[in-house]
Amino acid sequence: SPFEGFDAEEDDVTDDSSHLLHHSLPPPLLTQSHSSLSDPDPEPEPSSAECKSDLITESDLEHQSDSKTPSSTPFEYWDEDEFEGLPVEIETLESPLITENGTHADPKTPDLKTSSEAQGDTNDQTKKKKSYAVEIACVCFLIALAINYFVGKRENESLALAWAAKFASKDTIFQKNFSMLGVSELEDSPLLLKEALNVFKFYASGRRYCHGLLATMELKSRHDLISRVFNLVVPCKDEITFEVYMNEETMDHVVFAMTKKKAAKTMQKEMRDLQRFAGIVSPPAGRKWVSEEFALISESKEVAADLITDTVLDQVFGDKAVDKYGKNFMSMHISDQHPGKHKKMMLFKFSLPDAKHMDDIVRLVALIPYYIDLVGRYRLSSQARNKTESGRQKAAEEAYKELHNARQEALQKKKAEKKKMMEEAEAKMSAEVIRKKEAKERARQVKKAVPKMKMSRSH
Amino acid sequence: MSHSHGNASSVNDPRQPSAAKPYIPRPVAPEDLPVDYSGFIAVILGVSGVMFRYKICSWLAIIFCAQSLANMRNLENDLKQISMAMMFAIMGLVTNYLGPNRPATKK
Repeated sequence: SPFEGFDAEEDDVTDDSSHLLHHSLPPPLLTQSHSSLSDPDPEPEPSSAECKSDLITESDLEHQSDSKTPSSTPFEYWDEDEFEGLPVEIETLESPLITENGTHADPKTPDLKTSSEAQGDTNDQTKKKKSYAVEIACVCFLIALAINYFVGKRENESLALAWAAKFASKDTIFQKNFSMLGVSELEDSPLLLKEALNVFKFYASGRRYCHGLLATMELKSRHDLISRVFNLVVPCKDEITFEVYMNEETMDHVVFAMTKKKAAKTMQKEMRDLQRFAGIVSPPAGRKWVSEEFALISESKEVAADLITDTVLDQVFGDKAVDKYGKNFMSMHISDQHPGKHKKMMLFKFSLPDAKHMDDIVRLVALIPYYIDLVGRYRLSSQARNKTESGRQKAAEEAYKELHNARQEALQKKKAEKKKMMEEAEAKMSAEVIRKKEAKERARQVKKAVPKMKMSRSH
Repeated sequence: MSHSHGNASSVNDPRQPSAAKPYIPRPVAPEDLPVDYSGFIAVILGVSGVMFRYKICSWLAIIFCAQSLANMRNLENDLKQISMAMMFAIMGLVTNYLGPNRPATKK
């Protein structure tokens, strides 16, 4: 019955139904409605009384109508009532829902916005952090590269200058043995030639038995940060190589080398003159000899025995002296069959100590003038000379054969070119023949054409 | 050695000014120079940085250009390759940071 009552109210008057709904609502809403109604009326007291009386009367009428309507309404009409009722309820429900949505949206939308903004900020921050991390790392590495460049460059220069001050300045071993130092003929010329940031060259000349000495210092790439890091994994040493160019008339047939035992086989295989003429020599019995950590490669034992003198053993290579003075020795190569421009040459290779420990290689460097004089004065015995002569004759014959083969190849090439020229000439001749034939054909055509013209004249 | 040197110096000076020959620098062919690996790597990284838009490739290209500059021996030959690698590296950085964004970044 109350449901029916609601329907009846709706059927009668929408305004009345709204009023009833307000009544049915809780008291504070009623108070609000009263206030809204009282506003338009000029007289407050009589207006309120009239409203109350009107409401009461309306309720009575509605009750009467309610008693009538259920008997008269069919099911179809009832269904229609239901359909009509639903949208009103939906609207009433929707309006608070809409307001609720609005109210929720008002706090929610800023929440969402703030959350979205925060998310965006975090995304941007993470992106910036990532890209900045990579860039900061790379820029720092570049700065480290630049700093290491200048520091390493200075270190290399100081090391080279320390060597020069120790061995090439006044009253030093090279000053005493060579009349001209430096790469230019002028006096007070710079002693060292700087080929690269880690390669320095020193030249000296003007000594008996030789016409020049070229020292090449190959230091570590201290100016390159990547190479410096690489050298931590694969260590390498600062090296200095002395090339002594001997005079042709003073040096005898000598092919000799001395190096660490580990590097002996490699050295013999790589060097062509050692591979051809020399072999590893075992230490002679009943005589003082070099320390066990060294190996000798020589053409004959006699030469090896003569070149390893007691003085050298006492000073550098003997068992007693090698630990203190021979630790920086790397290799020594004396040969009159050197591959390259200079045939008669001596090669000394040492490792360089720190700038503060240049004294360690004083005796090693002193070996160089000693061996210049020793090899310059050395003469082989007749037997040894005969052996060396035979080997060198074979080498000369092989070289001559190689030259002969090269000449023959050149001749064959020339012949082939001549044949090609002849063939080309024949081709040209054939072309000329073809041209002649064509000319003859043209002449024949001309002759054939003439009789036709004669016939026309006769007609 | 010092003793023998004393003997040599006292007997006769080993120096011969008449035999002095000036230093003749050997003309080194460009082929004999050590291979510039860092320059080559810099070119490859620079090209990949430009084509594939990898920032790390461009930065590494700049680093290897710097290393190649540090190891430069011959100005005429080396500067060509280094300048080319440097151009690629800088172009890669410019396109990476100032160029249009990819659709992937938009998504």
